[in-house]
Amino acid sequence: MTALITLKGVNKYYGDYHALRDIDLTINAGEFFSLLGPSGCGKTTLLRTIAGFEGVSDGVVTIGSKDMANVPANLRPTNMVFQSYAIFPHLSVGENVAFGLRKRSDLTRDAKAALVDEALAMVGLDGYGKRAAHALSGGQRQRVALARALILKPKVLLLDEPLSALDKKMREQMQVELIKLQRHVGITFILVTHDQEEALVMSDRIAVMFEGRIGQLDDPETLYRRPKSRKVAEFIGKMNFLPAEVRAVAETIDLDVAGLGQVSVSFEQAPEGMDTGPAVAGIRPETLAVLFEGETTDRMLVDGVVDEVVYYGDMTYYDVRIAGVDKPLNIAMKNLIGRPVLDVGARTQVVWDARSLVVLR
Amino acid sequence: MWQKLTSTEGGRGLLLISPPFFYALVLLAVPLGAIVLFSFWTQDFMNLDTTFTLNNYREIVEKPIYGALLQRSLYVSASVTLVTVLLAFPVAYFVSFHVRPERKSLWLFLITIPFWTSYLIRVFLWKVILGYNGVINSGLMKIGLIDEPLTFILYNVNAVIITLAHAFAPFAILPIFVALEKIDRSLLEASQDLGESKLMTFLRVTLPLSMPGLVAAVLIVFIPTIGDYVTPELMGGAGGKLIANMIQTQFLALNNAPLGAALAVVAMISVTAISLAFVLLNIRWLKGRS
Repeated sequence: MTALITLKGVNKYYGDYHALRDIDLTINAGEFFSLLGPSGCGKTTLLRTIAGFEGVSDGVVTIGSKDMANVPANLRPTNMVFQSYAIFPHLSVGENVAFGLRKRSDLTRDAKAALVDEALAMVGLDGYGKRAAHALSGGQRQRVALARALILKPKVLLLDEPLSALDKKMREQMQVELIKLQRHVGITFILVTHDQEEALVMSDRIAVMFEGRIGQLDDPETLYRRPKSRKVAEFIGKMNFLPAEVRAVAETIDLDVAGLGQVSVSFEQAPEGMDTGPAVAGIRPETLAVLFEGETTDRMLVDGVVDEVVYYGDMTYYDVRIAGVDKPLNIAMKNLIGRPVLDVGARTQVVWDARSLVVLR
Repeated sequence: MWQKLTSTEGGRGLLLISPPFFYALVLLAVPLGAIVLFSFWTQDFMNLDTTFTLNNYREIVEKPIYGALLQRSLYVSASVTLVTVLLAFPVAYFVSFHVRPERKSLWLFLITIPFWTSYLIRVFLWKVILGYNGVINSGLMKIGLIDEPLTFILYNVNAVIITLAHAFAPFAILPIFVALEKIDRSLLEASQDLGESKLMTFLRVTLPLSMPGLVAAVLIVFIPTIGDYVTPELMGGAGGKLIANMIQTQFLALNNAPLGAALAVVAMISVTAISLAFVLLNIRWLKGRS
């Protein structure tokens, strides 16, 4: 893996507002990288500093080992798919796609037309070249924006919340298409999104941002299974948090967890430098289970009472109260054959496993 | 009937527009019809001869003075339009792109301030500025750039153009401003992102997208300036009289309303033809907006 984009000590101020704080980041060539975070966390600002629309107040941005400090947006090897798609309304689809080819004097008119056709075919819009851009649907506009950027064969494609304007079905379809497209063209994609599911589905690596800082940078699985802070754990997926007390840090981390008792976990399950003292134990709803009649388990069990039932068709979400914890545990159960849906107030047992715990400060 | 008018949506619409429609009919269509009708009559000293004739039009074609006046009018209108729109565009651009959003309405308000003074007073103001002993001449003479007053700046066509261009500036600024405001700023970033410099972005994106405003500005300035007769009367001197002055003279001084009406019809047709041609030339910028 070769580093394509590096940011070193990047800070960005808007007046008194500190939009980016000490960002150190390396993005590899050919990678599908996501910047994930709530609105106002600085992810779009970070993308725009890479694109060249925003200068940095402090720090260095390099692309392909070249310092970008004095390189304006139009000379950077990046292309962007804008949130609004920014399709030129006065041009046809073909003219939109060909917009960036004007300066390619090495290409004949026919060669340019062939490139446009090829780019349109790549995004599934064969034969749309002559259409007026303003008559396109949201999904088609998005494809035109993609074709317009990819035709220039940039080193990096920047995507600023490209799917947020599409409906759910279209969004899921485009997610898959974008992944395929990225594998096909081999260009580095940087995606900005506030949708954690989108980031998990599409990315090789994800940087989760809060308040101008990168909170955690990991591959999707690590990020989901081993969040290193409560903020990340709360932002990505659902998680139950139980008060805990770390007793000892030796070969394992030993802790008392409210409601569950004494537990030992490995160092992977906690952020670095975990020490004894008060902590929080996190556990995902799908790693817990309700024990139905006739089922057995060799895992740990704890008695509980069903507090709330939310039926989703494929899944049922239970809130189960256990002794010693104020908040009921949220448990996600697949509705497999023969499994009943429990009633509120039913007595049950909750199955859990120490391997799915994370310890957080 | 009344029931039908008030109960259906279409009927209520007709009812709503009927007062202004009636108003427009009485004050616009009827006088216009009268002018057209008059142009086919002739004046026989004190009496109107109402037999249909094309003599007025024949006279306009045959006597060179009318053609020359019409030509000069079109030249002045075109020049005023060109100067006004060229000067208005940077102002509109500045207000739209470089003024903070919360200050924009203040700027638009400032642009309309000249309207607070009567047009006549503004014309006289230009006389003071451009006159033989006016601000420009005395200023230039004081600093020694010229020895005697410039005479080409007042009482000729140039003076008419300068005065009209100033008077119509807000009418040109506002539609261009509106068109520029409507441009999605991400389009400009997209153009830069696709490799174009600021200048090329302006030429390839900003300018084409501001065309509806530019076309509107051109029409708003061009059409009324043809009919203006106050400014040439006061600023034009002997050589700066335009077709509108001739129409006025025919109607009032020469008591030849039919010829005046025919001149008015000819001027109107010329302006309409030129405006339509202009719109048709720019039609591709005007249609197909989302």
